[in-house]
Amino acid sequence: MITIKDVKKDYIDGDIKVHALRGVSMEIERGEFLSIAGPSGSGKTTLLNLIGCIDSIDGGEISIDGEELARRKAKELVEIRRHKIGFVFQSFNLIPVLSAYENVAIVLEMLELPRGEIRERTMTLLHEVGLEGMENRRPSKLSGGQQQRVAVARALIKEPLIVLADEPTANLDSGTGEALLKLMKRINHDRGTTFVFSTHDPMVMDYAGRLCRLHDGEIESDEKRSV
Amino acid sequence: MVRRARFFFVLAFRNLTRHRRRTVVTALAMAVGISIYTSMDSILVGFISEIDRNLVDFEIGNAAITAPEYWDERHRYLLDRLVEDPEALLRVLEEAGIPAAPRTTFRGDLIVHYDPFPEDGSVPMVFAGLDPELDSRVFRLREAIVEGRWLESGREEIVLGRWLAEQLGAEVGYPVSVTTRTRDGYRQFLELEVAGIYESPNPYVDRNKVHLPLDVADLYLEMKGAVTSIHLKLPEAIPGTADPAPARRVLEAVGAGPVVALSYADMTEEFTEMMEMEEGFTNLLLFLLAIIAIVGVSNTMLMSVLEREREIGMLRSLGLHNREIRLLFSLEAAGIGVLGAIGGLALGSVFTGLLVTYGVDYSRLMSEIDFAGYRFDSVLYGVWNYGTMVSATVFAVLVAGVVAIFPTRRILKKSVTDCLRHV
Repeated sequence: MITIKDVKKDYIDGDIKVHALRGVSMEIERGEFLSIAGPSGSGKTTLLNLIGCIDSIDGGEISIDGEELARRKAKELVEIRRHKIGFVFQSFNLIPVLSAYENVAIVLEMLELPRGEIRERTMTLLHEVGLEGMENRRPSKLSGGQQQRVAVARALIKEPLIVLADEPTANLDSGTGEALLKLMKRINHDRGTTFVFSTHDPMVMDYAGRLCRLHDGEIESDEKRSV
Repeated sequence: MVRRARFFFVLAFRNLTRHRRRTVVTALAMAVGISIYTSMDSILVGFISEIDRNLVDFEIGNAAITAPEYWDERHRYLLDRLVEDPEALLRVLEEAGIPAAPRTTFRGDLIVHYDPFPEDGSVPMVFAGLDPELDSRVFRLREAIVEGRWLESGREEIVLGRWLAEQLGAEVGYPVSVTTRTRDGYRQFLELEVAGIYESPNPYVDRNKVHLPLDVADLYLEMKGAVTSIHLKLPEAIPGTADPAPARRVLEAVGAGPVVALSYADMTEEFTEMMEMEEGFTNLLLFLLAIIAIVGVSNTMLMSVLEREREIGMLRSLGLHNREIRLLFSLEAAGIGVLGAIGGLALGSVFTGLLVTYGVDYSRLMSEIDFAGYRFDSVLYGVWNYGTMVSATVFAVLVAGVVAIFPTRRILKKSVTDCLRHV
């Protein structure tokens, strides 16, 4: 489903050229629960950003569902993000002036689905992530775990090909983080949604069906696991 | 797209509530700007309207018939470009239902003598011979008589303005002398009596003009029935906007000699400069309003955009196009413009209402200084100018919306990842 072939990415930090990714190759299959692990600066967030079409590749190829990203124009990449990719961020990134319901429904509003369908899908998903009765609460009235559940619902609502989660448990306590992981694991199981995490949280690695370790921009290990 | 736009409207509106104080302060600055603009425009339009009304009602009517080139040369007061047969023209104008009043305007010296006047003296004046009966069909000078009485045909008398009467120490019944020249250029001397004193809202007339019966002027100036002009009162909703076509049709139909029908605009070309000045001042205010809107809104939006850089990154990662994010921030800024416009209209309506009802009293200023050419007297009233209110509103909203593009564009030049990294 996602093919990553010899991908390179460099950054300029002052006068120094930093090789964030030095020729990474891997295949991500539909329905995988993949954790990309590694220390800070190993290139895991960069890899996620490249898969998510929010950063540009300096070398190599990434294709999603057969569509090669490097040859796409910026507007086409936006459309890919809009329809095929869901993001979960470390710091939730919810819109504070919108309710939990609206923070999720915004995605479907962008897709201009019928209002009835938006309502039904949003309510169902909020219920599924355990936020029933909290639909009208604004983020400031939700706990960190609840906010991250809203963010997960926002990522899932368009039924994307892949959900990219950049250290989703980093701002949560261990109990809340584990509950969130269980939730995502369940959704992965029930819906067959592909999840790719970047993390250095051992708990997240424990839940991963596949663990890919990066070090200095290269794949150190890539193993499938039975969880 | 409509659905999406509706959602952006909702989100933009909600975003306005994030920093209420900032929104209110920016909107308030715009409101003050708009209210000043609409109020100043109200008083300026009132000023121009007052001038138009005073010119129409006390000096020139809203159209006139004169000899060709008379109007351009009128300030020389030469009696060589005349309407030779006003009687015939007045007849056809009467038949056509157009109120008309003949006048003969000339220059002379008004001479007063000690006892009954406080002292001897003479002052150059503009004199207007008018038909006491017909004049009221076009002008309102007769209504302005506050002492004595209106002129009567055949009587050697004058009426003059209150201001001039006070300067001369003149009262009703006082004798005055006038020296002038006849149509043929011979010196002439008239002895007249003050029949009445008027107090018109047109200070130029009050200060600079003396009126006497047309037949007396005709006799002493040896006009042989000719007049310098025939003033008309054509139908019009706003003073000074009458279409002179009916008068021109009459002139063509009767094949009147060498005369022309002048519109109000033809007769007031010298005021065009004043109108342009008014327009320039209004534009200056509009410019200041734009500056307030640009500085205020751009500053507010810049802060807003910078604070929400990570949110912008999130929206872009959700799949929003840059144009949609620009639209979102422009709608938000336009919302500030709308709030400013609502406040400005409310505040401006209060100011304008006060100006329309009570006006601005210039009587002290006008009594001290002679603003020759400014035909307004004591209290200057504002007018409701709905066009300006609408244009100020639209302008404020548009400027606010457009101004937001620049800070937003600055952020959108950054990559999505840079936006997301923003702390």
